Amino acid sequence: MQEKLQKIKDSFEKKLKSIKDLDSLDILYNEYFSRKAGEMTNIMKSLKDLSGEERKEMGALSNTVKTEMESLFENKKQELENKKWETLLETEKIDITQPKLPQERQGSKHPVTLVHETLENLFTSMGFMLLDGPELESDYYNFEALNIPQNHPARDTQDTFFIKGNKDMVMRTHTSSVQVRAMQKYGAPLRAVVTGRVFRNEAIDASHDHTFYQMEGILIDKNISIANVLGTMKELLAGVFGREVEVRLRPGHFDFVEPGFELDMKCLVCEGKGCGACKHSGWVETLPCGLVHPSVIESGGLDSKEWTGFAFGLGSSRLVMQRYGIEDIRLLHSGRLDFLKQF
Amino acid sequence: MKVSLNWLKQYLNLPESISADEFALKLTMSTVEVEEVEKQGEHLENIILGEITKIEAHPDADKLKVCTVSDAQENFQVVCGGINVAEKMKIAFAKVGSKVRWHGEGELVELAKAKIRGVESYGMICASDEIGLGEMFPSKEHAEILDLSMVKAKVGTPLAKALELSDVVLDIDNKSMTHRPDLWGHYGMAREVAAIFHKDLAEYNPAKVKESKEINLNVKVEDTKLCPRYMGVVVDGIEVAESPAWLKQRLSAVGLRPINNIVDITNYIMYDLGQPMHAFDSSKVESQKSKVSEIEILVRKAKDDEDFVALDGSKHKLTSEMLVIADNEKVIALAGVMGGENTEVTSDTKTIIFESANFEATTVRRAAQKLALRSDSSARFEKSLDPNNADLALLRAVELTLEFCPNAKVVSKVVDEKSFHVNQGPIEMTLEFLERKIGQKIETKEIIKILVSLGFEVTEKKNILSVKIPTWRATKDISIAEDLVEEISRIYGFGNIEVSLPEFTIAPPEKNKLKILQRRLSNVLINKAGYNETLTYSFVSPNILQKLNFDLSDYIELDNPIAKDRPFLRRSILPNLLESLEKNIHEVDEVCLFEVGKVFKKEEPGVRISEKSDELLPRQDTMLGVVFANKKEKIPFYEMSQVVTDLFAELNLGYSLQENSEIDLLHPARNAKVLVGDVEVGFVGELHPALQNNFGIESRTSILELNLDKLLNVWVEKDNYKRLSQYPSVLRDVALLVDKKNSNLELLNTIQSVSDLITSVELFDVFESDKIGKDKKSMAYHITYQSNEKTLETEEVERVHEKVLEKLKKSVGAEVR
Repeated sequence: MQEKLQKIKDSFEKKLKSIKDLDSLDILYNEYFSRKAGEMTNIMKSLKDLSGEERKEMGALSNTVKTEMESLFENKKQELENKKWETLLETEKIDITQPKLPQERQGSKHPVTLVHETLENLFTSMGFMLLDGPELESDYYNFEALNIPQNHPARDTQDTFFIKGNKDMVMRTHTSSVQVRAMQKYGAPLRAVVTGRVFRNEAIDASHDHTFYQMEGILIDKNISIANVLGTMKELLAGVFGREVEVRLRPGHFDFVEPGFELDMKCLVCEGKGCGACKHSGWVETLPCGLVHPSVIESGGLDSKEWTGFAFGLGSSRLVMQRYGIEDIRLLHSGRLDFLKQF
Repeated sequence: MKVSLNWLKQYLNLPESISADEFALKLTMSTVEVEEVEKQGEHLENIILGEITKIEAHPDADKLKVCTVSDAQENFQVVCGGINVAEKMKIAFAKVGSKVRWHGEGELVELAKAKIRGVESYGMICASDEIGLGEMFPSKEHAEILDLSMVKAKVGTPLAKALELSDVVLDIDNKSMTHRPDLWGHYGMAREVAAIFHKDLAEYNPAKVKESKEINLNVKVEDTKLCPRYMGVVVDGIEVAESPAWLKQRLSAVGLRPINNIVDITNYIMYDLGQPMHAFDSSKVESQKSKVSEIEILVRKAKDDEDFVALDGSKHKLTSEMLVIADNEKVIALAGVMGGENTEVTSDTKTIIFESANFEATTVRRAAQKLALRSDSSARFEKSLDPNNADLALLRAVELTLEFCPNAKVVSKVVDEKSFHVNQGPIEMTLEFLERKIGQKIETKEIIKILVSLGFEVTEKKNILSVKIPTWRATKDISIAEDLVEEISRIYGFGNIEVSLPEFTIAPPEKNKLKILQRRLSNVLINKAGYNETLTYSFVSPNILQKLNFDLSDYIELDNPIAKDRPFLRRSILPNLLESLEKNIHEVDEVCLFEVGKVFKKEEPGVRISEKSDELLPRQDTMLGVVFANKKEKIPFYEMSQVVTDLFAELNLGYSLQENSEIDLLHPARNAKVLVGDVEVGFVGELHPALQNNFGIESRTSILELNLDKLLNVWVEKDNYKRLSQYPSVLRDVALLVDKKNSNLELLNTIQSVSDLITSVELFDVFESDKIGKDKKSMAYHITYQSNEKTLETEEVERVHEKVLEKLKKSVGAEVR
């Protein structure tokens, strides 16, 4: 019996070596261990025919052999299974450059919205309210309240769209129209920005459209000075451009501020050395600003002796064009998908 | 306006050490924006005054000539195509190495020795525009070379010197000086420069006029508000001739064409003092008494449809708001705008009437605008000129006339009809106010010095300045202390002010909920639904509106639309959005667009037009418009209703769709109002196929419009987290055979209403076929049963599920498949 066991084990080992796949391994296993006719199973069954001492002895021995064989089997099985993962590279190869089908469509935000959102986030993070106002505005808020009375020549230069049959209304020519509304509604102190659409009756070309976008900022507090305008605008522009900027003020005339300034920023392209982007001056005209005119503060229902402030404007259409290098302003309203999908 | 540096130097000493660019920068930083600095003679190196000594025919070309040009030392052979070349002619000779602009176009090119049709040529005989002198010497014909025979300098003199081109001309942005009437002449500009550079300004001191009574000049001003001052004087013995060289040079430098001595004088004064003047030929002015010794001038309103032919030959019909200068018969000038052709100074003129007047700004501006006849004169009057200047101008004009015409003589009194008052203040300003406004202290001495240098008179008492405004700044520019802050700070130099930040209280800004709503919805459309945001105009064309059967009379209309085809203010975003869709859908298979923007409804009340008025603006709600079309999609309704689902899911807000919206824009069977509770916030549906055809869109199109202002009113930001049940859920699927007319919503509600144990019902399949019947459809649902209190027994679930099926059968006739 001992010999027989050895023989079975040897033949099992031998056969096991030539096994190449899991299926054959299963067959082999059954040959020896199947409950009905496995060779080892038969041996184990025959143990009961042996007499006491021998049965004990042989029982121990066949158990050892069985364990050895099963261990060999397990090793082989493990070996074969590991081999199966090794072949994944060939058996389950795919084209990873192929997209999920059907393809998902990609949405896009308009570049004007993108730039306005950036500005709005920046200014709200600095404590500015985000306001809005009518686009079809009264003559009063667009002009009169901003120290631009009837017959003022500035009205001509703004190329205003008027409304048929109503002299009191215009399409707002600037977001400054929200200044007085804001003061009347929120009082002082006040920090607010307005981003939005404005209209000028201008001939259209690559750099002019009758509809464009501006951002207006207004800040009303006590003791606001020219020095504060410089300081604040420098910080704000650093926020807009994400880097330190150098600014300068020069006189600029706008009826709703006094004094009024044009704020120039040192050209970010050439660092002020002079290049095409800054017309070789080293400086880029960036935004008009100034201390809010006392009569505008009074229009806002505030005491101009107590309250002061400054206001600034930003041509956001132009900023959008600079930011993305858009060559023609008309594209902004073209509704062309090949344009829109780039953002 | 162009400003000549040499002209300015008549009135102040500017050190040579200041370069033209430095000067321009300083002026830009303190006063007005200098757009361009033109240095005369800058590109005239190696170009000299030459003389043509000999002309021969070119052997190979009919149109070319071989000239010999002398520079007084050497002779040069030059091939030239100029049509007016002549021997002995003095010309601008560009030597080899100089820079010219070929045919007056493109970049400067350095001249080299050349062979032209086989003949060597050593340089070029120039046309005026080839060496940047086109404005000074306009050529009359093509291929005409610049004839300089009148130049007195010796042959061989560098051209810049020969033509005395030593000036620097600054081109100033007119927009930067609209508020400064005083800067529209060189004297005013010189005053500014003197203040900036701390120089003394020469006095403007013309000689007094020796009046006489030979002619009685009578001026009658009908409306002194529109004409606060009218000065006139008659000068006889005029010889109309060319102006002296210095005057022509001044005018050329600022871009004016010299005409004759009299006209040139008026133009010179205009650019010198900023005061427009006019000269009438006195013999053409009709007098009532028909006597040469009596001249009557009337400043009156024009009559409606009165005819007027201006100096430039343009013909006009006047209106009664316009102010004119007239004699007894006719209009002889449009006040402040332009003289009339009928009294123009010509070479035959012997006697002139000088006018130096002041006209009200708006009247001049309106007239010039209405007749499209803007002139240098009207541009100045529009700025509200100082009436005091009229005096100086008239005296200076007479002085120059007597200088240019030796036989000239003043033959009338100087008439001065005036009625004006200029408010010169004084303005009281505390030093403390000034310091607060600037943000730093400036020495009182410095402050006073700056103001005085600009012509203000200042007295100081106990830290309060009392500042008298000079008349030339008082007409509209300066009236309050803030104006003085600007004067002081800009001359002091904004760059010298130390930067500081304002002090604020820390408080979070009030949120703009509409913007938040707008952003959240846009982000869902873009990032989840994959839509492209666009922006269309607020203006819409009748053509588009008619295609959609909209009634044009509902629309607010622009009085002056830029594009005649878009005069209406949009009431909905969809029309322009559909137009964009139509333009794109021919190129691609699918278009998904949206826009957020304001619309204008005249019948709905908006905000007040001013705080004091009860009149209201039209309501201007912010709308979200969405359009979709896909060439393969036959029922795009579901695409858009899914968008609605996504949008409301983002807002955590319940909504319902109400069929039969009766919105004409929409497909009669594929439409719905979008309701939150019972508030209508918009609509969704397919564009009516007939309108879709009108629009030229081939595929079925779905649209959505939501009123964000209305939505904001019903939107409550809330979280809808439900505690998880501790007990397991049981899922049952059921496929139902129902009538086509039964809606999903109906079935959902029916199932849901059976028991609280039903925690979710979800449609997962819809199927139609002839096999199950023409009027039938199969709808399959997942139903989830769950309790918060216990684990559901199978029997219990089955009991409820049976009830569900019974109810479905009873109330909607659904059969289980």
